[in-house]
Amino acid sequence: MLVRPGEKVKIRVKVNGIWYERDIEPRMLLVHFLRDELGLTGTKIGCDTSTCGACTVLMNGKSVKSCTILAVQADGAEITTIEGLSSDGKLHPIQEAFKDNFALQCGYCTPGMIMQSYYLLKENPSPTEEEIRDGLHGNICRCTGYQNIIKAVQDAARRMRA
Amino acid sequence: MKYVGQPVKRLYDDKFVSGKSTYVDDIQISALYAGFVRSPYSHARIKRIDVTDALKLPGIVGVYTYKDLEPLIKDGIGIWNVYEDPRMWKFVPRKPLADSKVRFAGEPVAIVIGVNKYVVRDAIDKVNVDYEKLPPVVKMEEALEDKVIIHEELKTNVAFDQTFTGGNVDEAFKQADKIIPVEITNNRLIPSPMEPRGIVSRYEGGTLTIWYSTQVPHLAKSEFARIFGIPASKVRVIMPDVGGAFGSKVNFLPEEISVIASSIKLGKAVRWTATRSEEMLASEARHNTFKGEVAVKNDGTVLGIRGDLLVDLGAYLTLTAPLQPAIIPLMVPGPYKIKGVSIRSRAVYTTTPPITMYRGASRPEATFIIERIMSIVADELKLDDVTIREKNLIRANEMPYTNPFGLKYDSGDYLSLLKDGLQKLQYYELKKWAEEERKKGRKVGVGMAYYLEISGFGPWEFGEIRVDENGDVLVISGGTPHGQGTETAIAQVVADTLQIDINRIKVIWGDTETVAASMGTYGSRTAAAAASAAMVASKEVLEKMKRIAARLLNADVEEIEYENGEFYNKKDKSKKVSWDDVARNGYYGKELGISAQIILPGDVTFPYGVHVAVVEVNDYGIPKVLTYKAYDDIGNVINPALAEGQIHGGATQAVGQALYEEAIINEDGQLTVTYADYFIPTAVEAPKFESYFAEKPHTSAWPTGAKGVGEAALIVGPAAIIRALEDATGKRFTKTPVKPEEIL
Repeated sequence: MLVRPGEKVKIRVKVNGIWYERDIEPRMLLVHFLRDELGLTGTKIGCDTSTCGACTVLMNGKSVKSCTILAVQADGAEITTIEGLSSDGKLHPIQEAFKDNFALQCGYCTPGMIMQSYYLLKENPSPTEEEIRDGLHGNICRCTGYQNIIKAVQDAARRMRA
Repeated sequence: MKYVGQPVKRLYDDKFVSGKSTYVDDIQISALYAGFVRSPYSHARIKRIDVTDALKLPGIVGVYTYKDLEPLIKDGIGIWNVYEDPRMWKFVPRKPLADSKVRFAGEPVAIVIGVNKYVVRDAIDKVNVDYEKLPPVVKMEEALEDKVIIHEELKTNVAFDQTFTGGNVDEAFKQADKIIPVEITNNRLIPSPMEPRGIVSRYEGGTLTIWYSTQVPHLAKSEFARIFGIPASKVRVIMPDVGGAFGSKVNFLPEEISVIASSIKLGKAVRWTATRSEEMLASEARHNTFKGEVAVKNDGTVLGIRGDLLVDLGAYLTLTAPLQPAIIPLMVPGPYKIKGVSIRSRAVYTTTPPITMYRGASRPEATFIIERIMSIVADELKLDDVTIREKNLIRANEMPYTNPFGLKYDSGDYLSLLKDGLQKLQYYELKKWAEEERKKGRKVGVGMAYYLEISGFGPWEFGEIRVDENGDVLVISGGTPHGQGTETAIAQVVADTLQIDINRIKVIWGDTETVAASMGTYGSRTAAAAASAAMVASKEVLEKMKRIAARLLNADVEEIEYENGEFYNKKDKSKKVSWDDVARNGYYGKELGISAQIILPGDVTFPYGVHVAVVEVNDYGIPKVLTYKAYDDIGNVINPALAEGQIHGGATQAVGQALYEEAIINEDGQLTVTYADYFIPTAVEAPKFESYFAEKPHTSAWPTGAKGVGEAALIVGPAAIIRALEDATGKRFTKTPVKPEEIL
């Protein structure tokens, strides 16, 4: 497909269960598409180098850093953002566990941290502490020191196994 | 007491865990986007700025330089007059964009305004600036020589030069058995909250509405009013959710002033959110060296300290940079009885990004100096860390104690805490274990450090309580929590004072049109000052309700008592009226409603504690903190879970400061401008924490009795971690960060 300067591309993306169709610049990042085009500002931007993980969403079931995906790469894909984690107004066990374990302070890393934890537990429902720290290696938190986040993930794992 | 002292869950976490938080970049408002053309050179004259190519791009609304914005600016950005004395400082109030010169690589030179962030980014590249390079001055020591003057009108690079002398230093050195030289350095690092800062400015009909990622909305309002010559009543600053700050968002950037100026010029809303690179240039911290001598007796008594403190300011004096050179010397004596201290404190400009305060704001610097001195003295005299501190700590019967610089330490038992703390943290067991492990070949070490810090700053804080006609309560706080969770602590205090269900309380803050006055959240003062203001206002509200109850019960107000939702006549307890009935009657007929506002004055307090770190070094020289333990006397603990969270977070930043974080700068500019080259501790580097609070706390004079804990772990952490590193390797380290190549 050839796209000339100034031209836009039509993409269709399913986000949190809803199909969206938009015309966008090919260079638009997925994170900007979600936040600015669709108004889903739950996903945050924390860095310029795909280091911090604040932008983590699920794409076709796998966690990705949406700052490092072009929106055109998400054409036809299913995305789940933090807004899509709770159902019928009820919080997901991971969200409850984060609250109950004081796993957040300023909250900025939290959406990405929760989405990555969701993926981690999907792949490994009974992770050890080391596996959790390793699994969250790409999500930076400046406030909590991570220990309460680890506790929350272990707590969520227990609740989800029950 | 139902809530205070309990680990009550944070009140407003729902929005944060479900993506409904609203940080400044999330605010959905129709606004133009701003971006900045920045200098690639550390020091240069601006010969010419050509914006014609940039203006040709479709979607670009304007490109402004200093001369375009100058007519709108009545005054420059100054310093924090509440805490800093401008008479002691040589500085030029900061302009919104570089005028004739740039003084650091990254300094904004022009603002680009466009319809979306992509076209703005395109246009930035199309602005052509001709520079004439000037020699950079990136080292503090070089700046002192005044060979290249950074601010010509100041005629020197030295902005501050004061000597702080307390007690009798000459006498101390005359009596010394030994004089030990020390050179102790903290290198520049970056506070780096997860949320890059930003601002949205809307100007219409002569009024400014500003959404601003800040810790000090009311100060911002006053400053913006002054800078733009607009009556402050027509300036509204709203603090949205703020994703961390650590002191760095008590700051007014020229970028932010440029955005406001542009919104006024265009009559349209303009917004800017920093990229991570811009955030890393926006606020940098620490960077100081102490070179001096310590006078000691062979039995370990530290008699005196004298020396020179040199502090880097970066290219411009920021709002909070003046705190460090002025407060570091005052806190160097720490909790020790040192009879003579003399420190010449100088602060210099360099052609580097400007320095601001960062969690601890002078106390980490001072504590690193004194704790390194204590450990070095211990090593030189062949004593251990505990003995040297036991010898010198101020005794409980000497409290309150006035330090050589006139600071009055309010309350505490430093010696008992050392003993209790080291026992609780199992320090001796850990040291023995580390020794055994080292015999097996592991490079593992244990270190301790003690701190006394100054927090809970006044001069006042605001609190307002409104009980509505339903009996539900609105708390309007002058504190500005941005992650600490102290809004929950404030609700706990109010709930206990009013003896009502905490679920009936809502706490709000941060909007200058709703909150009558505010100093803000910084300096570990929210649990002390803001919660106390809310507590005192609650007591006043209760008095008003008692008067209403007295009228309803046909009694004298002196006969009315209140307990758990009921006002009753103490002479006849069957005569009672409920909280809800009193509330409803407070809005009936001639009653004026039920509320109380207070501006509560108060002053500093002194928390203290002992922390222990366990560090291991691998075969590549890479250190890791395995465990970090804390034992702190922070006065009354309103919410132990929130307090412990501050220890975890502060200690993780201490891990970064001691071992991993450095803002590396050379003559071409700053090399660490992304997270790919600046190393924030991740879950893999973060240690396991244990945190305890003193069983017998010593309270502050603030009504809540809290002393503050927000900064404690970063204040003492680097000293404990470096000490552990010394224990692990047998080497001496006197600076942060310590790099693997220095360890091997």
